[in-house]
Amino acid sequence: MQETREALLKRLEAQARQIRRNVWRALRAGGSGHAGGSSSAADILAALYFHRLRIRSTEPDWPERDRFVLSKGHANAALGAALAQAGFIEDGVLDRFYGFDSPFGMHPDIKVAGVEMCTGALGHGLAVAMGMALGARIQKQAFHSFVMLGDGELHEGSNWEAAMAASHYRLANLTAIIDRNKISQSGPVAEIVGIEPLADKWRAFGWEVREIDGHDMSEIVDALDAVPLHADRPTALIAHTIKGKGVSFAENTYLWHSNNVNDEIYARALAELGEP
Amino acid sequence: MTTATAVAAEWRTKSAKQTRLAFGQALLEIGARESRTVVLSADTQDLLGIRTYIERYRDRFIELGIAEQNAIGVASGLATTGLRPYVCGYAPFLTARSMEQVRNDIAYANQRVVIGAAASGISLGVAGGTHHALEDLALMRSLPNMTVIVPADVDEAYRATLATLDIDGPVYMRLGGRVEEQPVTDPEAPFRLGRAVQLRPGKDVAVIACGALVEMAVRASDALKPEGISVRVLNMHTIKPLDRDAILTAAAETRAIVTAEEHHLVGGLGGAVAELLAVEHPTRMRMVGMPDTFATVGPTNAVRAKYGMSAEGIVEACRAVLDSKKAPATRS
Repeated sequence: MQETREALLKRLEAQARQIRRNVWRALRAGGSGHAGGSSSAADILAALYFHRLRIRSTEPDWPERDRFVLSKGHANAALGAALAQAGFIEDGVLDRFYGFDSPFGMHPDIKVAGVEMCTGALGHGLAVAMGMALGARIQKQAFHSFVMLGDGELHEGSNWEAAMAASHYRLANLTAIIDRNKISQSGPVAEIVGIEPLADKWRAFGWEVREIDGHDMSEIVDALDAVPLHADRPTALIAHTIKGKGVSFAENTYLWHSNNVNDEIYARALAELGEP
Repeated sequence: MTTATAVAAEWRTKSAKQTRLAFGQALLEIGARESRTVVLSADTQDLLGIRTYIERYRDRFIELGIAEQNAIGVASGLATTGLRPYVCGYAPFLTARSMEQVRNDIAYANQRVVIGAAASGISLGVAGGTHHALEDLALMRSLPNMTVIVPADVDEAYRATLATLDIDGPVYMRLGGRVEEQPVTDPEAPFRLGRAVQLRPGKDVAVIACGALVEMAVRASDALKPEGISVRVLNMHTIKPLDRDAILTAAAETRAIVTAEEHHLVGGLGGAVAELLAVEHPTRMRMVGMPDTFATVGPTNAVRAKYGMSAEGIVEACRAVLDSKKAPATRS
């Protein structure tokens, strides 16, 4: 039976809530971590992993799978949560965040099932995802390559090398999602080094752009379902988000880009996030 | 195997003796043998002689322009889909500039990408210090998973490039520039990764050389022979994995080692040999290579010679290490 739109959105919102709960759970296990950027990305990750991506948890290396590269790898707690919820990795791995010899460290490790590239050094993921998109074209495969970038990450010049080349090659099978949470490690991105007009920049580089509310599941689903937005151009989705979304004391502050998490903070965060 | 040699032989007669072009030529054969091959360029189509490859395999070629960081990242992404990328570019820019992409996207991710790095060392002597690559071996051999190869001449470059078909991991292939590399290897001998080739026997001193310095080492050995000095020459075409056995045997049998390379004395072949011998078999050594300064501008061979990277420089180093062998040890 076809899932109704209402049921779909409700299901994805529940997955997003669970991703956030698991992020805080992992951070408590590790003692600290990147709550801000993990929480801002949670709704988009839920829509990707539980609706849009054609992937198989039982066959992580399935050649025809859609690719997702988390270029802003410091949000690995959220990626790990999504992968655990989707069945790629054991749920218990989430309790080993930052642990010795753990597959689940601060940044994604390509050796982990479902992780497509070791990222987190910023400015790498877009080029890699572009390579994946070219690989699909050369081998006449239908998969789509998605990459999530931080907004502060866009300071790295290598992104713009890739942006220029991806439109030159008309890679409609490539989508960049910018988690526009407006805050990086030291403060507001606009004060560190401004990146506006951001949509105009991507358009000038030859991309088809749509701006969405990165916490409105309906808008996220519509945008991901509409991809590619142009038959001849790569797609950029600028998702306006709130750093630390879902937990009041972590929202909209660079202090929670990365911070310590103890039992008390964890309990307060979970109380705000509510039941799964 | 016979096909490989035949193609190389035919091409040898009509092309300049430059390893960078041998790489591009070998890609034609690789393209024919391996359908997953894809060649990337950083606006360096002529530098590596790949225009014929491009004509023949247009759908398996990607030009990425003057953007080496992107070229390396894209190559990594291509490799994850099962393709076999060969990245063509300038050694100084593919290494120093793109070091983080090489480290993370290629080496750490352990992707099967071959980097064809032309214009290494001071092979573009007139281009100046901004365009010399005298630290690339130090950078590349410090990376886990990376294989590092320095062909000595066009035949070896051709055979080494073909050998990458069987290397399941990242490879750095160090190539020259517009100065010719003099033929010194046996074109009929198979290329054996990680196995040094002895080009001259010798018992008094062993010169361990790579790249353009191999031919100079052979000349140095021949020059010292009339004096009764017996100089072994090892062509250490693979810097990583290093042929430990050949080095330890040479050290045990000659008790005097000279290394010769077109690279800073920090971190290259000499460094690799010294690291091994210091631990396993302390041996008197001299190192021929670039001292701790940026090279001057000029024709490649003149610049090489200024800093001792010449047959004469290797002869001097051999005499010096032999003198030190005769002298009583200052410490024991």
